[in-house]
Parts: sequence; structure tokens; C-alpha cells
Amino acid sequence: MKKLFIQALIMVAMFFTVFFVLNQVNWMTIFRVEQLSKTTEEKLGDIFWDLFNKTEKEIKNPKATSPTDSIVSKICISNGIEKSKIKIHIIESSEVNAFLLPNNHLVINSGLILYSENEAELCGVICHELAHMEMNHVMKKLIKEVGLSVLISMTAGNSGSEMIRETAKLLSSTAYDRNLEKEADIKAVDYLLKANINPEPFANFLYKLSENESKIVSRLIWISTHPDSKERAKYIIEYYNNRTQNFQSVLNPETWDKFKEYLNEL
Amino acid sequence: MITTGKFVYEPGEHEAEKSSNSYLMSLIAVIAGLPLPIINLIATLIFYMGNRKGTYFVRWHCMQALLSQFSLLLMNSFGFWWTVSIIFGSESITNNFIAYFITVFIFNMADLIATIYTAIETRKGIHVSWWFYGDLTNLICKP
Repeated sequence: MKKLFIQALIMVAMFFTVFFVLNQVNWMTIFRVEQLSKTTEEKLGDIFWDLFNKTEKEIKNPKATSPTDSIVSKICISNGIEKSKIKIHIIESSEVNAFLLPNNHLVINSGLILYSENEAELCGVICHELAHMEMNHVMKKLIKEVGLSVLISMTAGNSGSEMIRETAKLLSSTAYDRNLEKEADIKAVDYLLKANINPEPFANFLYKLSENESKIVSRLIWISTHPDSKERAKYIIEYYNNRTQNFQSVLNPETWDKFKEYLNEL
Repeated sequence: MITTGKFVYEPGEHEAEKSSNSYLMSLIAVIAGLPLPIINLIATLIFYMGNRKGTYFVRWHCMQALLSQFSLLLMNSFGFWWTVSIIFGSESITNNFIAYFITVFIFNMADLIATIYTAIETRKGIHVSWWFYGDLTNLICKP
């Protein structure tokens, strides 16, 4: 019996030794796994953006793109995020919404910009989306909700247009899970602080949306898809509460006003 | 890892054939049952149940074939559900997963080679006892 027990132990030890030795090899590089996932993400990003591009009107006027670009640049430089990989799209839509598509497509609705009382509020939302991007939440969400097999078949062109439409809708109008949202909120505050932007307006923005939620819920996509806004605003305030620093604005007030004025006229 | 020798008695022709078949059963079931690792266990279990009233030599080898499937079932099941969670769930492919997959493949290949060898030898009436599984079978299977 003792002999058997020792033999069983040796077998288990053999298995784990082989596993441990093999684990020392960098298989991810050998099988180019990361490169393959990147290609899949790039293809998905193109597929979804093509869909939005066909159905929504993108604003390409520098009066709108330049201020947004300045804000994103400031946040990226301050936080060491590679700006060149981000594709910013401003869409003409009254819905208060901003979302990410795979391969770093950041889509901001004009409705969200118009709803922001100051640039710091918009910065907060952008930081939140950039945090999702940096933590690879988009692909995590897609794999969880749709499954890797379906995503790969989409890139191979084997999925119907209805499936692609539904998945795109999932990305633009549903939230990430609660933990991912909280992670992104906290990271967003870090980004704001590093960029010398006051995080308080971001918290206020969430409060404002939650208060107006019942009145015009259909337009406030960003808040209806991000539940418990009051709770989120609360932990954001708690997180940055003890930090004091000299906050600066990214755009001068005149540029911000002209930016909103232009969008208002559309 | 594998020892050959004489059994407590000289097995007859029909006993050698049946014993050899128990290993072939697990081989065929592996091929048919992939990727579901439970299939080969069920197949060898059914074969064992069918021969549990057989002669000692037949029972002994059916039992050894069955026991060898258990450890494979454990490692293959874990690998199977890990793969499922990658394809349909939120897990992603990691170095750990690839290393585990190769480890499982190596152990499955070792089992496959041992099974083929044992099937050939037992068909000739030669008693083949596997390391660990042979001793375990001796403990469970009595004349």
C-alpha cells in the first residue's frame, strides 16, 4: 500500500515537473498568439466601425475634431498612453453616449459633448473610456458575451450581418460588468489627476445624469448603460478626496464655447 | 515503466484475445471520443462490466485498462473545460494553457504507446504489468 502511495506521488510529481519545465518556454511568442489576437481585434474594429460609419454621420470638421484631439492628446501624454493608436470618431447624435470599439476606436456622440457643462466633465468620460481601452475590457467583454469562436468567424466573414449588428449594439449600448466599470472609474481618476484635470466635474457629471435619468432616460444612453451612477460618483469622490493639486484646463474657455456652439448648430 | 512476465497461470487463446481487446477498446474509444475525454472511460468501463465474470487473466487486464483511463480522464477533463472556457468564456490563451496542453498531449501519447504495446503482447498471452497501475490492479483484482 505504501509502495502504491509513493508511486502515485511520483506520477503526480512527474506530471507537474513536465508542466513546470514546459511552462518555462515562451509559447506565446513561438505560436505568435498575441499577434494573432491583435489581427483579430484589428479586423473586428474595422468591421464594427464600418457598420457605424454607414449608419451614423461622423463629424470631421476641425472645429469639432481639434478640441477633442487636444483633450485626448493631453490625457495620453500625461499618462504615457500611445496616442497614435487611438482612432477618435465624433458622431452626430443627440444620444448622450460614448463607447469603445475593438482596435482602439473611441466613439463620442455630439450629444454627450453638448451635455457636458465644462471640458473637465468630457475629460472624465474620455478618461473612463481610455481606461477601458488600456485594460483591454472591450475584447474581454466581447469574448464573454459573444464567444471567441463567433468573433473569429466574424473576422473570417462567416457571420451574418444581423449577428454583427447585434454585437455592435452590445458594444455601444450595454455596460461592462460592475467590477470592470469600477476599475475603469478609478483608473480614469488617476488619468485625470496625472493630467492635472479636476476629477470633481466627472463625479458631478455622474450625479447630474443620475438625477436626470428618470426624465429623459431614452437619450441618456451612457448613464442607463452604466448603472448605480450615484454610487460611482461617491466612490470617485472618496478616491480623490484627499489629494490637492493645482488643476489646469486643457482648452481655453473660448475654444470650449466655440466647440459646443459648432456642435449646437449641427 | 512496463514489466512483462508470466501470469499466475498460462492464459488460453480466447483469454489472450479478450484481454487484448480491452486495450483496443480504450484505443478506439480515444479516437471516437475525442474531444470528450469521458467517452474512453465509459467504453472501458462497459467492456470491464461485460467481462467481470470472465477469467482472472481477462478481468485483470480489463481492470488495468480501466484504471489507466482514470488519470487520463482527470487531466483531459481539466484541459477540455479550460479549452471550452477559452472558446466560449472569458478566459484567454496563456502560456500556462499551452504548457498544460503540451503536457497532457505527452502523457496521452505515452499512454497510447503503452496501450498499443500491451494490446500486442497480451494477444500473444504475455502478461504485461504497468508501473503503478499493475500494482493497483493486483490490489483490486483478486483471483
